[in-house]
Amino acid sequence: MTELASHPNPTLPEPRPGSRLGAWIQNPVTVKELRSRMRGRRAFVILALYLFFLSAVVTLVYLAFASSGSPTGGGARTAGKGLFAAVIAVQVFLVVFIGPAFTAGAISGERERQTFDLLRTTLLSAESFVLGKLFSALSYVYLLVIVSIPIQSIAFLLGGLSLTELILSQVLILVAAVTYAMFGLWCSATMRTTLAATVATLAGTLFVTFGLPLVLFTATIIISSLSVGMAGLNPLGEAFLLYSGLVLAATNLPATLVVSEIFFLEQNTLLGFNHFIGSFRLLLFSPWPLFLLFHAVAAVALFAATVRRVRQVGDS
Amino acid sequence: MAAIIELDGLTKRYGDLTAVDDLNLAIDEGAVFGFIGPNGAGKTTTMRILTTLLRPTAGEARVAGHSVITEPVAVRRVIGYMPDFFGVYEDMKVWEYLDFFAACYDIPASTRSGMIDDLLALVDLGQKRDAYVETLSRGMKQRLCLARTLAHDPQVLILDEPASGLDPRARIEMRELLRELKTMGKTIFFSSHILSEVAEICTSIGIIDNGRLVASGRMEEMMRQIRAHRLIEVRYLAGGEWDESGIRRRLTTEIGVLSVVTSESAGLPPGSLRFDYNGDDAALAHLLGKLIGDGIPVLAFGEVSGDLEDVFLQVTRETNG
Repeated sequence: MTELASHPNPTLPEPRPGSRLGAWIQNPVTVKELRSRMRGRRAFVILALYLFFLSAVVTLVYLAFASSGSPTGGGARTAGKGLFAAVIAVQVFLVVFIGPAFTAGAISGERERQTFDLLRTTLLSAESFVLGKLFSALSYVYLLVIVSIPIQSIAFLLGGLSLTELILSQVLILVAAVTYAMFGLWCSATMRTTLAATVATLAGTLFVTFGLPLVLFTATIIISSLSVGMAGLNPLGEAFLLYSGLVLAATNLPATLVVSEIFFLEQNTLLGFNHFIGSFRLLLFSPWPLFLLFHAVAAVALFAATVRRVRQVGDS
Repeated sequence: MAAIIELDGLTKRYGDLTAVDDLNLAIDEGAVFGFIGPNGAGKTTTMRILTTLLRPTAGEARVAGHSVITEPVAVRRVIGYMPDFFGVYEDMKVWEYLDFFAACYDIPASTRSGMIDDLLALVDLGQKRDAYVETLSRGMKQRLCLARTLAHDPQVLILDEPASGLDPRARIEMRELLRELKTMGKTIFFSSHILSEVAEICTSIGIIDNGRLVASGRMEEMMRQIRAHRLIEVRYLAGGEWDESGIRRRLTTEIGVLSVVTSESAGLPPGSLRFDYNGDDAALAHLLGKLIGDGIPVLAFGEVSGDLEDVFLQVTRETNG
């Protein structure tokens, strides 16, 4: 057997310490994806169509409120609330369905295009690859969310909307966008084809957004009716149901937005308030901090699982 | 010379199927190694293990001293890989494609522009710098992919069927490019079905069949080992007193004639036959004189030089029983 040589490559640069932030900003995958996505008219046409659609929705909502009540005072505030809710609904749809749809094909598409192996033999780490895909998908979704804020801000002119509500709703939506996009990426890394990844992603987001609340709502009603039917609902049982409801609301973006808004408008609190059941005192908390925690943990776990899947050396 | 690629008992199994079976091989630095074998012989599997894309079931593979199992990043640092089938990104210009992969190899942005120009000049795609990758011909895409493998100036190039699917002109260009890379001191490990091309540029070869390495070594040694004897072809005037069976019987009486192959079994035109001979030139000249002296109407008498195709056929025939 011939003697094995040691060959330090003199030309290849060593990884540069201290340039982690720069590496994140100049992630090659992000740069490549954004170059492709933002080139030509397609991205701007989509943006224009989105804003046109949003403007139409806002106009319809305003006209509906204007035709049914006074355009000033309380009526205007109601119209402002309605307008705000309509834009939020569109934004929720964006982050729950459009963002994950972007990421669902991100990794499986590389496999289908036969470019995945080329990337895996480079020095690009699995973390950088996944982050690059995430940033590029999120940047466009964030762009769509952010450009809708000026239209959403028309609600300020009508009244009925505070800056706190606007900021809180946007923070929740932007954080949820990360988790949902990560879920799409995880499906993309796990499934063999983009079609399977897209179906799994949309099924998952649909279930979490609408299916899970429906199942839990039904379960709550059944438990509640059983408790009342059997022995009447005692304070502990009621507390259990209330807390369960709040925790479950914190797993769901529309529910968190609605419940947090109710807490803010009706109890004038961002965090929580005391609720009495007879002499029994309960601290009811607004679900949004828990929502942020849940989604941050889920995003990190999905990121780790996706990286592990990408890093996995094939056996076939 | 030191080995830059070393395979030690390398084995890859998929269930009951053994794709690569106990491969042992050492390739010297600066060598151009041709890895040849029929489809499904295990060439691509071996290359995918060498490029850290597959984990071997048993054994070890090292590139520049780094284990593909325990030091995959170090291995990726020293190799450039071009698969047999590869995709390109849509909506991407030629320079962007190279810039992207250079960034993936941590090449600083400040040096990339000049490097891209150099690489494009090397593969003769300088005029296509701003063209979209999807508009390039197959041959151009192959050369662009080769340029990509050179982005980080690797010591070892692992090329899976680099000339596959190319037209003759593009194939010649690819061959010239490999020659150029050889003069640059790169170690090239490549597979090919086109044996004449392998023979033209390789310094050493390995023949794999059914997952087993059936022969390997320097090109000239392989030729010598495989054909220790000389192959002589005789053409004679057919239809005369001497027929094929008569000449065959006459030849087999001679010392040094190992075996005689008839025109039909050797795929030769009528009036020809071949025989294996282990004598020297003087003995061969004496034999010719005796044949003519016996009245055999010899039209041509000469040694057939073996080529890689003969080597390949002989080795794979022997191993397949």
